[in-house]
Amino acid sequence: MTATLEALRDTPPGTARPRSGKRGRAGQRTRTFYLFVGPWIAGFVLLTIFPLAYAFWMSLTNTDGLSPNWSYVGLDNYVRVFQDQQTIASLGRTMVFMLATVPTGVAAGLAMAVLLNRDFRGRALFRALFYLPAVVPGVAAALTFKIIFDKNAGFANAAIGATGGEPISWLADPYVRMVLIFMILWGVGGSMIVSLAALQDVPRELLEAAKVDGAGPVYSFFRITLPLLSPIIFFQVVTGVIGSLQVFVPSLLLAPVNGAAAVTAVPEGNYFFMVHVYAEYFAKSHFGYASALLWVLFLFVLLITGVVFKIGNRAVFYGGVDPSERKD
Amino acid sequence: MRGSLGTTASQAAPSKTELSRRSLMRGTALGAAAAAGAGALSACAPSAGGSDGGKTTLTVMAPENEIDIKAAEAALGLKIKRVEVDTTKLTAMLASGTAPDLVRGLGAVETPYIVARDLALPLDDYFAKSELLKEDDIDPINDVWRYDGSVQGKGPRYGLAKDYSQDAMIWYNTALFDAAGVDYLSDTEPVTYDQWLELGKQLTQKDGDTTSVYGLSAGGLGLFITMVNMTASAGGSLFADDLGSLDFSSPEGQQALSWYLDYARARVGFSPVEPNPDGWDWPPYQTGRLAMSWSGYWFGGSIAAEPALAETSRFAPAPVMGAERISPCFGATGYWIPKASKNHDDAWKLFEWFMGGQPAKDRAAGGWGLPSLLSLRADLPTGTPAQAQALTVQDAEADYFKVLSFTPYVKVEALDAVLNQYLPDAINDGTSAAALADTLNNDMNALIDEGKELVK
Repeated sequence: MTATLEALRDTPPGTARPRSGKRGRAGQRTRTFYLFVGPWIAGFVLLTIFPLAYAFWMSLTNTDGLSPNWSYVGLDNYVRVFQDQQTIASLGRTMVFMLATVPTGVAAGLAMAVLLNRDFRGRALFRALFYLPAVVPGVAAALTFKIIFDKNAGFANAAIGATGGEPISWLADPYVRMVLIFMILWGVGGSMIVSLAALQDVPRELLEAAKVDGAGPVYSFFRITLPLLSPIIFFQVVTGVIGSLQVFVPSLLLAPVNGAAAVTAVPEGNYFFMVHVYAEYFAKSHFGYASALLWVLFLFVLLITGVVFKIGNRAVFYGGVDPSERKD
Repeated sequence: MRGSLGTTASQAAPSKTELSRRSLMRGTALGAAAAAGAGALSACAPSAGGSDGGKTTLTVMAPENEIDIKAAEAALGLKIKRVEVDTTKLTAMLASGTAPDLVRGLGAVETPYIVARDLALPLDDYFAKSELLKEDDIDPINDVWRYDGSVQGKGPRYGLAKDYSQDAMIWYNTALFDAAGVDYLSDTEPVTYDQWLELGKQLTQKDGDTTSVYGLSAGGLGLFITMVNMTASAGGSLFADDLGSLDFSSPEGQQALSWYLDYARARVGFSPVEPNPDGWDWPPYQTGRLAMSWSGYWFGGSIAAEPALAETSRFAPAPVMGAERISPCFGATGYWIPKASKNHDDAWKLFEWFMGGQPAKDRAAGGWGLPSLLSLRADLPTGTPAQAQALTVQDAEADYFKVLSFTPYVKVEALDAVLNQYLPDAINDGTSAAALADTLNNDMNALIDEGKELVK
């Protein structure tokens, strides 16, 4: 208190008092901060944290969402997750799908970006054409793919037939997963556009300096371009991994039954984890068990993302710095 | 051990307390939203049963254009808000205390389920007073909307079909019959399932492994309900008398399974191993790629819009598997009023107007299904030879209607999911009907047992 009074006494006339000024500005900044982030925090709590907590609560019961006589089952639903063959199989399928689509999608997007980053006539047109499938609505894409891969009248079998091959029942097991993967990769233009934007940020002087030093295009790509793109590639891998672990709608769209009932008729090859979760929720009314499945998936996604980050930290050149030389 | 939110399991009351139930239901709604997106949450917003300037606001869960909202508002002096038909949304609305006032449903397979969960309002008192919906005018098909706690088809009425069909009947394209040199089906005598499959084989046109015309489609309105129908037609019943278990191992159940496996292995129609890319029968039938569709009277509505196709389309009775000739209804799509609705009387007004007023007359004249009121049958279209033939066959078929009881313990989708899980391998691997029956019994009865725990 004495020190404060002395400070006030020593303040020259006409000068704002430091105590109220600094604290006032700090308080205003704090209020402004919370004013801006408040809506997001409220939304996050109400639409993410609260439902997650309630889903956890439900996962401890056997409720079907409608019946009056639910009961607590403790951790039974979680134990069941690891005993349910359909769950384990669908998780395995999802992992295979992730491993098939994420690296392929990112690599294909990057390859297309590299091609379209070169100077040639009609470049803008090709950029637009390659990106176009990414903006086609998923439902339209799925219907188109169903027509293309129809066993009897589809273009795919017509092409196979023209070469003397036997028609394939593409929309049934085991081929239907391939159709789904084709469909996902068809939208690789999204990845291409991100990689293309990153490519255009690679400093030309670095590439020209390497050229002067005798580096060929392949060497320059792998030693200069790719490291500089690695944060963007890493971003695509992370979002791709999270998205592919939750793949759901495309499976339903390729099912032989239309509408919500499609979830009961998804061929085994496309019966991924989220399809299983949806079937458990809304076909079998296992709200408790399905909530447990969601929580397991949530933890699984966290785990896989953590592993990806761990690997990424050893390979990503943040700010152009070699990860092996980073001190943190 | 039952419990409630906010109590530990050991503290939980053993009975179903209203508070705990509601609390969990709210949680259920939110959890559903977490799983299925924000759709469920938006449904939690107060919406149902309000009052706007003295007018009651009704919330109706119906597809777009099924109920003429403006006409209903003008006729009844109500304000009506429509929400999309969505199980997730319905669950959320019921759970959050904002139940819709009128809900679309499939009477044939949903009535015991919603009644056992105490969701539907019994409507007998309303029917008794109604001037538009008189008991002696209601088509017996609407018994699928009745359930007395143990038998479907008896007890209080919980809803009414907006229109219906006897869904195991057959539409066929005579041009494809002529092309294959196959005799037409009788208008009065049903074929057996074996004869039907044989016809399907004769009508199927293949070019190597590519099929240009499928002989028949035996998907119906869902695999499980068709199994129930075939078993009943063979003289048995898939469900036990108390609807608390099912048995595919009975001779009749195995007969049904065997027939379906034979059908799917013959690749003469759509199945889990021969998927229909269009998802339903109309597109292949319309384009001459399907000779026989296993569809009821309603399919004639699509056919009538295509004059050329109507000239070559005929309607035939449902096939029989054994001694008993039956012709059930698998859907009976209609409406029910939730007990939790806050506007029972006004909901009934809308229900009554829609089911017995001008909309019902308009629907009957449209030919997209049979009216629920016997007095409206005269309004069914007979303007073309195809419509007249269809109605003649339909009138004769009415005598063979039978309510197929459905279990209250599990939704039909759950049983369809089990069938779809095992059928592809069974079809491809040559699994016997007996072995498949054991697997299905095991999984389906487990689901039913779980359901029993919830409606004790």
